[in-house]
Amino acid sequence: MKKSISTECDNIAPQLSAYFDRQMPVWKRHLMKRHLNQCAMCKSRLQSIQQADKLLKSVEPVKASDTFLSEVLHQAANIKKTKKIRESNINRIGSRIENMQLWLRGKVRAYNPIFMFGFIFAVFVMVGATLYSASIKDFNPFPQFVTKSTETEHHKLITFEVIQQQEPKRILKSR
Amino acid sequence: MFVSDEDLMMDCKKGDMSAFELLVRRYQDAIINYIHFSINDYHRAEDLAQETFLRVFKNASRYEVKASFKTWLYTIATNLTRNEIRNRARRNTYFLEDLVDENEDVYHSVYMIDESLQPDLLLERKERQQIIKKAIKMLPENQCIALTLVTYQELSYEEIAEILNCSLGAVKSLIHRARQNIKDILIKLGIGDTINEKIY
Repeated sequence: MKKSISTECDNIAPQLSAYFDRQMPVWKRHLMKRHLNQCAMCKSRLQSIQQADKLLKSVEPVKASDTFLSEVLHQAANIKKTKKIRESNINRIGSRIENMQLWLRGKVRAYNPIFMFGFIFAVFVMVGATLYSASIKDFNPFPQFVTKSTETEHHKLITFEVIQQQEPKRILKSR
Repeated sequence: MFVSDEDLMMDCKKGDMSAFELLVRRYQDAIINYIHFSINDYHRAEDLAQETFLRVFKNASRYEVKASFKTWLYTIATNLTRNEIRNRARRNTYFLEDLVDENEDVYHSVYMIDESLQPDLLLERKERQQIIKKAIKMLPENQCIALTLVTYQELSYEEIAEILNCSLGAVKSLIHRARQNIKDILIKLGIGDTINEKIY
C-alpha cells in the first residue's frame, strides 16, 4: 500500500506546477485534489510551490516611463515616412515603365502595316539564315571573329584512327 | 467598446497610427516588465520593449489573423531578450542595477513618499526584491523566460509553448524545473528559508 502511494506521489509531483497554475483538465485536477487531501507530503510540496510563487510575486512591477509612448510613436512615424518615400520612388519607376509599355502599345499595333512588314521580314531572315547557312560553303557573316585558317580546319577533319584486327590465337574446330 | 488586439493590428496594417498607439498603451508595461524580470536592467528593458513595438509596426503588413497578436508580440520580445542574455553572457557585462543598488540612497527613493513605511523595513524589502531578481536571472535562459511568462505575465502553458516554439509537455517540465531551481537558489541566497519542503 505504501509502495503504491509513493509511486502515485512520484507521478503527481512533476504535475504539481501545472495543478498550481490551473493548467490541466478538470477531471485530472479532481483526481489530484483527492490525492492531495490524503497525502501530506504532496500537500507540503504544493505549499512550497505556493510560497515560492508568493515570494516571486512580491517583486513590484515596473512601469514604462512617461516618454516611452511618445518615443515609440515618433520612431514609428519616421519609419512610416521613410517607407512612403521608398514606396513613392518604386512607384515612380514602375509608372514610367508602365507609360513606356502603353506608349509602345499605342504606337505599335498588330494591324500597323509597318510593324507587320518588319515582323514578317525578320522572321524570313531568321528562317533563311538558319536553313541555308549550312549549304553555303564559305558562308561566314562575321569574318572578323575567325582566328584560324580554314586549311587547318580541313586538316583536322581528315585525321582518323585505324583499328587493325588481330588474328585469333586459338581457332575452334568443329568435330 | 472593446476592440480586440487582432482588429487593432488589422487597422495598423492599413496604416492607422491611432490603432498602433492603443496597442502600445495596452502592452507597454507588460512587455517592459517581462524583459526587465528576464535581464534585470530597466533602461535596457525599455530599449528592447521599444524595439519590440517598432518591429511589430515594421512587420504589420505581414501579420495575419491566424496567430494571436499577444503570442506574436511576446515571441518578438522573447527573441530580443534571448539575444540580449546571450550577448551579455558573451561580453560578461555587469548589470548597472547590480552595481548601483548597494550604494543607492534608499532614504530618498520613491518609497519614502509613503511615510507609514519604516526605513529598515523598506531597506529589507528592497534588498529582498533585488535578491529575487538576481535569482531569476541565475536560472537557465529557457527556464527564466518560461517562469517569467507564467508568474508575471500569467500566460497559459499553450501560449508559452507557442512563444518558445516547443511542446506543451516540454513547457510543463520547464516550469517545474524552474520552480525547483528558483527555490534552491533563493535558499542559497538566504531568503528561501520559509520554503521548507523540497518541491520534488
